[in-house]
Parts: sequence; C-alpha cells; structure tokens
Amino acid sequence: MTMDISFNIGGEAGQGIDTIGDLLTQVFVQAGFYTFTIKDFESRIRGGYNFTQIRVSDKPVHTSVDQVDVIIALSRDAVVNQRERLAESGVIIFDNAVEFDDLEACHYPAPLEKIAKEIGGDTRMMNAAALGAVLSILNFPFRLAQEALMGIFGRKGEKVVASNVNVAKTLYDMTKENFAGTCKYNLETLESGPCKDRLLITGNRALALGAIAANLKWISAYPMSPSTSLFQDVISYSQQFKIGALQTEDEISSLAMAIGASYAGARSMVATSGGGFALMVEALGFAAMVEVPVVIYNAQRPGPSTGLPTRTEQSDLLFMGFASQGEFPRIMLAPKDPLEAFDVATRAFNLAEKYQVPVMILGDQYFADSVMNVPRIDVSTVTVDRGKLAKTGPSPEFKRYLFTDDGVSPRAFPGDEGKTIVSAGNVHREDGHITEDATIRNLMVQKFMNKIPRILADLNPPQLYGDKKAETTLMTWGSTWGAANEAMELLAEKGVSINQLHFCDVFPLRTEKLRETFKKSKRVIAVEQNATSQFAALIRMETGLGVNQHINKYDGRAMTPGWIIGKLKEGGVV
Amino acid sequence: MITPEMLEGPQKITWCTGCGNFGILAALKKAIIEIDQPLHNMVLTSGIGCSSKIPHYIGGMNSFHTLHGRPIPYATGVHLANTDLKVLVHTGDGDCLAEGLGHFIHAARRNVNLAVFIHNNGVNGLTKGQYSPSAPRGYVSNTSPPPPGAPMDPVSPTALAIVAGATFVARGFSGDQKSLVTLMKEAINHTGFAVVDILQPCVTWNRLLTWKYYNEHTYSLQENGHDVTDRQRALEIAMKNEDRYPVGIFYHSKHADLAAGLALPEKSKLRDHTNELKDVQKIIDDLML
Repeated sequence: MTMDISFNIGGEAGQGIDTIGDLLTQVFVQAGFYTFTIKDFESRIRGGYNFTQIRVSDKPVHTSVDQVDVIIALSRDAVVNQRERLAESGVIIFDNAVEFDDLEACHYPAPLEKIAKEIGGDTRMMNAAALGAVLSILNFPFRLAQEALMGIFGRKGEKVVASNVNVAKTLYDMTKENFAGTCKYNLETLESGPCKDRLLITGNRALALGAIAANLKWISAYPMSPSTSLFQDVISYSQQFKIGALQTEDEISSLAMAIGASYAGARSMVATSGGGFALMVEALGFAAMVEVPVVIYNAQRPGPSTGLPTRTEQSDLLFMGFASQGEFPRIMLAPKDPLEAFDVATRAFNLAEKYQVPVMILGDQYFADSVMNVPRIDVSTVTVDRGKLAKTGPSPEFKRYLFTDDGVSPRAFPGDEGKTIVSAGNVHREDGHITEDATIRNLMVQKFMNKIPRILADLNPPQLYGDKKAETTLMTWGSTWGAANEAMELLAEKGVSINQLHFCDVFPLRTEKLRETFKKSKRVIAVEQNATSQFAALIRMETGLGVNQHINKYDGRAMTPGWIIGKLKEGGVV
Repeated sequence: MITPEMLEGPQKITWCTGCGNFGILAALKKAIIEIDQPLHNMVLTSGIGCSSKIPHYIGGMNSFHTLHGRPIPYATGVHLANTDLKVLVHTGDGDCLAEGLGHFIHAARRNVNLAVFIHNNGVNGLTKGQYSPSAPRGYVSNTSPPPPGAPMDPVSPTALAIVAGATFVARGFSGDQKSLVTLMKEAINHTGFAVVDILQPCVTWNRLLTWKYYNEHTYSLQENGHDVTDRQRALEIAMKNEDRYPVGIFYHSKHADLAAGLALPEKSKLRDHTNELKDVQKIIDDLML
C-alpha cells in the first residue's frame, strides 16, 4: 500500500510538543519510513499555540502537506485550530482533562496524563501514552513500536524502557477498546518500510557538521532566531574539536572577530538572521576589501525589522547580494535541504579561501528547523582547499595583494617568519599600504573583477527536474525546492507538461542552463517565499530574461505542494 | 635585535607638523625595540582616523587597518586565532570612545589579551575638528551646539576600563616620551586587557588641549605614591573630571584572560589546528537511529 500520513502535534509552548514529535518520528524512522517534520511556533517561551507537523511516507518526502490525518492536541486551541485541515476519517486525540465538549466522531479524548501517572509513575510519560494511542488508531503493530521504544530509551536503562512500553501498551489496548472511530490507514500488516535513511537531522545541524568537517576553527555570533541552533551545535562540539567560539556583544563584532581570526589564518564563520546581517554589512565590505575569506550564514525570517522572528521567508536575497558600499565579488549559496546543506557548508569554506571573498549561505526558518531522515553522511569525501598560500620561509618582498592573472594573491598570515602582512580597508598598493593613486585603484578593482569568471566556473549550474521538454517551468531556489518539486511531480503524473529549474548556487549567476530552459519553456513561473520575486528580479538584471508568472508567499508559513497547485489553478496554468 | 632602520616607515607621514601622534609613533618604535621580540609575532591593528594611519608609518610590522570604532573586535579575532601573537590596537578617542565604546567595555570585561593605545586629543581630527566624546564640557567646535559648546561631560576611558574589568589601566602623554615608552612596554607585556589613554594635542583643531596646556596640567601618579593595586582609589582618580591630569599607571592586576576560558588548542593554535574527520564521522554515526 502507499502510505502518506501527516501528524500534527499542537499545544502551548513548553507542553512537550517536540518530545512527542521526536518520539513519533523516531518510531517511524526505525520502522523504515521517510519522514519530514516542520516546526511552527510563536516567539514566546510559554503558552500560545505551536505545532509540530510530521509527515510519514514510504516514498521520500521533502515538504509538509495541508491535510493532516492525526492531530494530537495538548490544549483546547490545538483541538480546534487544525480541525478544518483534518482529512476525512482523520482523528483528533487529546487528553481527557482538556475541556472540550463539542465532540464529533473524529474526536478521541483519552486519559493520557492519568495513565502516564498511574502506570508509568511520571506525567512525562504522556508522550509514550500519546504514542500508544496514535499507533493503536493506525493499527500499527505494537511489536514495531516496542522495538523503536527500546532503541530510543535503551540508553536510559531497562526500567525506563519498560515503563514507557507499559504506558504505550496500556493506551494502545485501551484505544482498541474505546475508540469507535476509524482511520483510513490500517497498518496492521505492516512489516517495515523501504527507507534505510537513519540520520534525522535539521538544516542548521547539517550546516554545523559540514562546517566542522570543513575545519571551521572560529565562530562568533549573537543569538538570533532561526540561526541560533547552528551556533549552539558548534559550541557543543567546540571543546572536543578545539574550535574558538564566542557570543559577542553584537553582530558587528561577530563578523569583525571572524574576519580577524581569518586574517590570522583560522577558518571562520558567523551565523545570524537578516537583522543581524544588517549590522554586519560594514564588515562584509571590509572582508571584501582586505580579501579575507569568511562564511556568513543567514537563516532568513520575514522582515523588515523584527518581522516574524520564528517564521520563514526568502526575502534577504537582494539585500545580501548588494549589501555594502562599493563593488566586489561575493558568493551566495542556498541549500535546499539538510543533505545538501552539509555539502554547501564544505564548499562554502573552500570557495571563500580559494577566491578570498565572502561566501554567504542563505537558509531560512523552514530549512533551519525542519527535520528529515537522510542517508548516513560520509565525511571521507570532504576536502579542504585553502587556495593559494605563499611559500613558507622568509620573503622580504612578500606582497599580500600581488597582482596576478586570476586576481587571487597568495596568502600568508601574521606569525609567518620573514613576511610582513599588511591589510587595510582603504584602497591599497600590492604591499597593503594605503594609496589614492588612480592607476592602482583601477588595477585593484580589476583584480576583484578578474575573480568572477573563475568563481562562475566553480559554481554548480541549476538543476532541471522533470521533463526536459515541458511547456511550463517552475523556477525555485533554496528551501522552496521540496514543495515545488512535489507539486511538479503531482501535476506531471496527471499529464501536465511541467518541469522545475532549481538553483542552489544563486550568485554570481550561472546563466547557460538558465538561458536554455527559458528558451525551451513556454512559461517560466517564479515560485518564491517572498513578495517581490527577488530571484526573478536578479535573473532579469543579469540576463534580461523575464519570467511569465509569479507565485509568492509571504505570510511566514512554508509553502505546500497543494498551495502551489492552487495558485497554478488560479493563474490558469492547470 | 630590532633596529630603528627595520622600523622605518614605508610611507610618508601625513600628520600635521607638530601633531601629538609623532610622539606616540616614536614611543611605539622605542617600546618595540626595547621589548625586542620577533617582529613577525606582532600585529598592529587600528581603526579609522589620524591615529589609525600609524600602521603605514612603521615598517616591518604586520598590520590590520580596519573600520571606524571596530579595531578591538578585529584584534580579538586575530589574537584568538593565534595566541602567540602580540596584538596592539592603535585607536583614537573618536574611534574607540564613540562608535567603539561598546566593544571597548566588552573587551575589558573579557580581559582579552590586547594592548590598546588611545590617541586622545578631544577632537575628530581627520573629519576636521568636530568635538569627540572626550572633549571637555563646553568645548566649542563646528558641530557642538552653539553657544555653550559640547553640552556634556567627557567620556573617561580610564574610569570605564577600570569599572569594566581591564587589568592594566594607565595614562600617558605624548610629550613625556620616557614614561610613555615605559607604559607602552608594560601594556604590551601585560597578559590581559591593557589600556593606555595617551594625551595628545591636535595642533590644527584643538586650541584648548595644547602642548603647553598638557605640560602645565599633567602630574605623575607614581611620583605621588599611588598604589596600583588599589582599584577603588584608581577609580576615584580616574573619575576626577578636572583640569589636572594624572599620568602613569592607575591600576594593575592579574586575572585569567579570555583565551584561558575558551576551547582553544593547548599545544598549538587555532590557525594550525585540524578537526579530525573521523571524529565528525563518529558524531554523525552516533546521531543515526
């Protein structure tokens, strides 16, 4: 059978939504399924209404969907808020202590807390209770759940495993007896799914691990959602790997310190969101002027100003592409999912050092916080390319900004015996000392610009998904890949002539494949998580090519395939 | 051995004739010669302004001429990537005490191992004489509100440094070479956040804080028996906002510096250290279900 179930776990902040979600996800991953989890939360510590939505499928999934099959509600709001998204024959499970009387057939009040306390001896086992109820409704073989619980709690000892299993089993059996409704999924005969991907990971964590694999030695940041978890992850491994890490007084000094550390020879990065990046802009230009490599991660969120701090948007593309006074090369990469994120992180550091330019990674809250299970990441393929380095040993004639054919001068670092490293934010001579000479100014600008053709050749072209000859093309970049890809596939299955052109490397812009697709396709539609189709604007600026239609979402909530198809219908495309 | 010839400036100095910066540059060169440590292990960082052009007027030195108000965070990164380096910060009052004041306070609080030399002349010289945060109340310049002049008291870098946690706080005077060289040497050799507030006339814009004025209005703390370990007394002296300027060491103590509290390699330095790929693989494998 084809399985594609979505669970929505809702409640107040602090009620343990994440824990139930983690448990459920782990059970299904252990049982061999693909999962994709999004987090929808408010900018507050307690209360409010938040949810985690988990999609489980026997096919790879990269996006959440609009309909949910099972809702686990920890508060009254959670019982009510997603009602209209509930699929036919879906179920809403909630603790019978929640005051809610307008019962319909889909509602299932269960004694989650009571059983957790009575059987498990700890109200925290409500998670296992909820799990038991959910699995029972799906007729999911308890044996598989038991194995998964052993895997999850095994490290905490037999007693914890046994208590959790007992609580889950009690609710599992009780639900069989008491719940009269039915769910469209009956997983009774389920053996195990086809998925062997056992690494559950977020975009932020994949970036953090990629950066560490790429020999990150310095990170400085000021906490800002949704980037903070990356910084926390690196900090948590900093003792083990000896990575210098500091929470700074502001983002101005974050990037300044990272550039200082890189000038002295350490691979460095910063992590922030749009508002923090705004404070980093002067340092971005400085990094470019002194040709000190640095990696900047922006987990975007809706702006302007504070905007929606815990939600998603792709609206900093043009800001980042053109931030700072003056003109200089920069690289922008936008990973589509955690698996690509690991690779993007390692490439970012190599590109930064090879070309001695700032490299910016554009994520967003959807990318940063979404969890999916991916195949084991094999780090043995990671290479560290530090670019051109000066020969060791004394060299009184060393010039940090030596004019070369490709615009890249060999680097040396303070502490290297017999070389003097002079760098300045003013226009400077080859030796780094400042000048106002017009000829040198021209040569230095040309030195910058000479890097661009080689950078372009080193970047990846966009990927074309689906029928190469299709009439309609959805054009995406970064994290909107998943929703658009599924929309494209669903429509293609129904006979619509449609494909998808997707960009990870967004700037500088590689145009060969882009031009080819624009030529072949009758209708190119920009699908972007912003109001003004910023990437389409960038393409027009760089190539003169215009898209035919736009699909934009800017409410801070991630796109779904269904939403995109709806917009295509509104636009008369399908 | 470091010779004066090795330190000869690569560029023609653009400071005005009689500028207080000449005295600071001369003292810096003397201090470096007397410290006599390998030049390749020193880095001179600076911000923006007349003071911050100093890297171009001294030869054989690694240097990082950065942004207005920001040399301290840049220098912090340089230092932590390679703690073998002696990192000096040359900054002005307009640089360090205006846009850079927040960084200055936090760096002092962290006791980061830097030697910070504030070329303090009470004006923003390079932008042509506007009042700086260290200008005395009533100082008249082309941007101070007429008629009263600067309508606020000056920032006291020494007092702020002592309160924030700096472990070496001193004041020098560009016109007193002998003691300035000693102070700069001590600041460079100190492990922790060292600040020397250096009084320096701006001969072009500042008609108040002149060579004559400072010669007549400075006095030595050390000749007056000040106890440099007495933080309260040091603060009292530093907070005196009057027309007599004590010169010398205000406060000197020993505390763990920032580097001691970070996960830096014990036997090497960040710039030479490598993250083992097999350890990254192990983390990934441990995350697998």
